[in-house]
Amino acid sequence: MSSPAALLQSDTLGSRLTSRGDLTSFFMQLTEEIGADSYMLVAIVHDQDRNDARIVSSNWIFDAIELIGKRLIAGLAQGALTAAPGFRPKPLVAARAPNAESLVSAEEARLLDVLGHAEIYSLRLNVGRQRLFALFSAAAAGQIDQSALMKAQLKCCYALSHIPQLIAAAAMQDPLSDRERECLFWVSEGKTTDEVAVILGVSSNTVNSYITHAIQKFAASNRAMAIATAIRSGII
Amino acid sequence: MKQADIKQAAEALFNEQHNPFGAFSLGSETHQAVTIPDAVRRCRWISVDINASAFGLFFVSPSPERARLVPCFDSDYPGIAVATKFISGANGEEIVRHTGNSTAPRWWADDGTAAMSETFSGLAWAEQMAPLAPGTSGIAFPVHAERGQCGLVVFLGSEITISQDTLYEIHARCFSLFAAVARIRPGDTGKTRAISKRELECLKLTANGNTSEEIARLLKLSVHTANQYLTQSTQKLNAVNRNQAVAKALRLGLIE
Repeated sequence: MSSPAALLQSDTLGSRLTSRGDLTSFFMQLTEEIGADSYMLVAIVHDQDRNDARIVSSNWIFDAIELIGKRLIAGLAQGALTAAPGFRPKPLVAARAPNAESLVSAEEARLLDVLGHAEIYSLRLNVGRQRLFALFSAAAAGQIDQSALMKAQLKCCYALSHIPQLIAAAAMQDPLSDRERECLFWVSEGKTTDEVAVILGVSSNTVNSYITHAIQKFAASNRAMAIATAIRSGII
Repeated sequence: MKQADIKQAAEALFNEQHNPFGAFSLGSETHQAVTIPDAVRRCRWISVDINASAFGLFFVSPSPERARLVPCFDSDYPGIAVATKFISGANGEEIVRHTGNSTAPRWWADDGTAAMSETFSGLAWAEQMAPLAPGTSGIAFPVHAERGQCGLVVFLGSEITISQDTLYEIHARCFSLFAAVARIRPGDTGKTRAISKRELECLKLTANGNTSEEIARLLKLSVHTANQYLTQSTQKLNAVNRNQAVAKALRLGLIE
């Protein structure tokens, strides 16, 4: 068994996380520990029909982000190779792309390779109900230690749990107030306005106004779409 | 299978389950647990590996109003353990809130000895909390699945052995166990009559905010037919109206 004092520097850094700066040093440390060169922490924002990546923290060079583009980053972050905690991660190897999953085209793969992302792992991070994605990449394929990576995935979840406000602000995934979320939840359970009013003990006009606000905040065209958007982003 | 093959397979299985020196192990559990008894078995393996005497898996009900822990199974399956009743009762409120905001494991030690409290307090990331069940010690792992389902896997015991390294591993295994359970739990999926491709198309368009008239135009159907498809899919999903049908279809992963 491993010795009780098997604390790595990322463990100590991460459990004392309070600010943006701490987040950066935590990720830098973690990246080094798993043998990777770069990291990127991404939140996915649902914008109408398509997804957009919001980068929370990253040590990718600016030009790499610009050249590859947010759309592709969003695709990489939540693509078919993305591993949830507890699942064995599979890397996107630029040299072997375009592959069956066809996440990237030949040209995009070449770009990634040249920019030092020959191998990219995408990990899903769960921070309570919030969902983020971490990309760890290395300049040479096979450089990242897979078993360290799986530990790193949980460390990221734990560390981000320490700074929920910071993450929520960055991700802006949940624009709803508690009441609006509650109303939308009951509507998604098939309740009518009048029924929701009884459940929450408010008037049906109030319920309607909460729901209208929720619809507006999601820029949805009706209730069904607001519900779909909320479920897709894991809010209800 | 020849005797030698069987022996080899058994050894491989054993090594995978008990490899104290090996790399990160996900146990021998496959990701395709198909029934609750399978899931109970997987959970028992995890609990054996950390020497826990009891375990339980809970869902955090999605209702924000009365958020509570809904027991799925525990170590007394098919019965219900006393500890489970405590945990799903009033004692669970704080941990429900925690599970919604954080993924950090939480532990408590209330069995009257110092051993468990010593083991747990040596772990980075894990936080102490009020006892989930009086007179016990244990550790609770928040878990999350594909469609926003939230849950908690709890291990109880007075002789739990867990190190910093195994903490990550156990939590990872809890995640994959929960992912499997969350997929089977909707229960009525098997019973729902097959929904046709056309009906799913209509549901998907509804989820994207289209009205029946728009769907009819997009799919080149009459408004009447579009409505008929939607009514049928609502019935097949056992929903009371379109809004619920859309929600159910999304949660079950029938539409994206």
